[in-house]
Amino acid sequence: MSRDGAAGGATVPAAPAGSAAAGPAPTRAWALKDLVLVVVLGVVFGFAYWALVQAWNGLALLMGPAGDLAQHLLLGGWLLVAPVAVAIVRRPFAGVVAEVLAAVVEFAFLGSPVGPLLLVAAVLQGAGSELPFALTRYRRFGWGVFAVSGLLGAALVFFWSAFRSGWYGQDLFALRLGLQVLSGLVLGGLLARVLVRAVVRTGVVENYAIGRAGGLR
Amino acid sequence: MSASPLRQVVPSPLARRDPTVKLALLTLVSLVALLVLDPVTPAVLYGLALVGVAVATRAPARTLLLAHVPFVAFAAGVLVVNALSRSGTLLAAAGPLVVTREGLALGVALAARTLLVGVLALGFVLSTDGVALMTSLHQHARLGPRVTYAVLAGYRMLEEMPREWTLLQHAHAVRAPLRRDGRPALGPRHHLGVVFGLLVVSLRKGERMAQALESRGLGLAPRTTWRPVPLTRGDAVLVVAVLAPLAAVLATSAALGLLEGPGTLTR
Repeated sequence: MSRDGAAGGATVPAAPAGSAAAGPAPTRAWALKDLVLVVVLGVVFGFAYWALVQAWNGLALLMGPAGDLAQHLLLGGWLLVAPVAVAIVRRPFAGVVAEVLAAVVEFAFLGSPVGPLLLVAAVLQGAGSELPFALTRYRRFGWGVFAVSGLLGAALVFFWSAFRSGWYGQDLFALRLGLQVLSGLVLGGLLARVLVRAVVRTGVVENYAIGRAGGLR
Repeated sequence: MSASPLRQVVPSPLARRDPTVKLALLTLVSLVALLVLDPVTPAVLYGLALVGVAVATRAPARTLLLAHVPFVAFAAGVLVVNALSRSGTLLAAAGPLVVTREGLALGVALAARTLLVGVLALGFVLSTDGVALMTSLHQHARLGPRVTYAVLAGYRMLEEMPREWTLLQHAHAVRAPLRRDGRPALGPRHHLGVVFGLLVVSLRKGERMAQALESRGLGLAPRTTWRPVPLTRGDAVLVVAVLAPLAAVLATSAALGLLEGPGTLTR
């Protein structure tokens, strides 16, 4: 914990952004608990991705150019954090915030060579993954909603990735789209629900919106 | 896995510059590079960036070389796939594989861009401490205190994560089935179990952290900053040192007729 940061000092930052007045915080503002949970998800997934990328790099070297394609199969894994965050916190923008924080951890702390433009991808992934939940007003968390979440998350970010990586005009365009959307549906959608269910069973999210709602319903 | 994922920041000229300024420059150059799609311009920029990063971070050649491995591998993949999968003037053919001139040019352009952004991101990470970054963003980019401290808490957690990982790994190894030579069999299933354990432990820790932060009244009143980091003339020099060569290379490239934009993709 960063205790030294709280000590008295010289300047007061100009904007006390987002600070609530005395008394209970308005329901619109995020509870610090929810914010930290989303950060924690970002950190754990950032760390797991980092470990995955270490393993992945070796494999990609071995596979040569085929690695470029095989990478699409794992894309869904990058979408996982958004639906998990939405399902637990059940607040608007939870998915986007979770993706963005995971991206910040990845590039600013863990040094992903993709750089800050990872944030653009993160916003798109988060928005795509969150849209189905938002449409149900964060009330329905069945397999279908999770599947659509993974599918949209993958589809939305695809067009940005395609621009960034120059896939337009390649012969493989349709194949890439197909692989990524499929991966998003399975790894970024259905797997997210499996994971959330497992987390709920451990009891650690009892004090969050998902616990109050009595689990994944 | 025992190695820390966080790089140690060593003192260097670039490490003394403000993190917000570095981040803004990195973002700007990445955005500009996104729009450049000829092979020569990004390659020249990469050369300049490599020299700049090497000088400004004083990183040993070995560090730079090793850090290059992941994105060089990625760039090579991009190069080959583009060279093989685009229609255009035939350069070479071997069986079903056809290399076109357009594909090769675009492949080189994208590979060079990957290298450029990769080496700049490397320079950023080598010279920027996570805590300094968040402090600077709080101060200069007006990032709210609650977000700042939540991310800082996450950063501390990340620092401890390799240790936590080892601990969980050992705990799992105790119960793992043994191989013939008597050592525990640690397969993918085992690793998934460790990752899940890490997630659950971290979630629980996060809840306690949030309570600790809240009990200290975080976010209720305007905060003061301990050791504020001022923007200095050095930061202005850094901005010029990055933007001037960038503008010069783009202008020269345009004057020579080499510069090309995203239109190349659909050609």
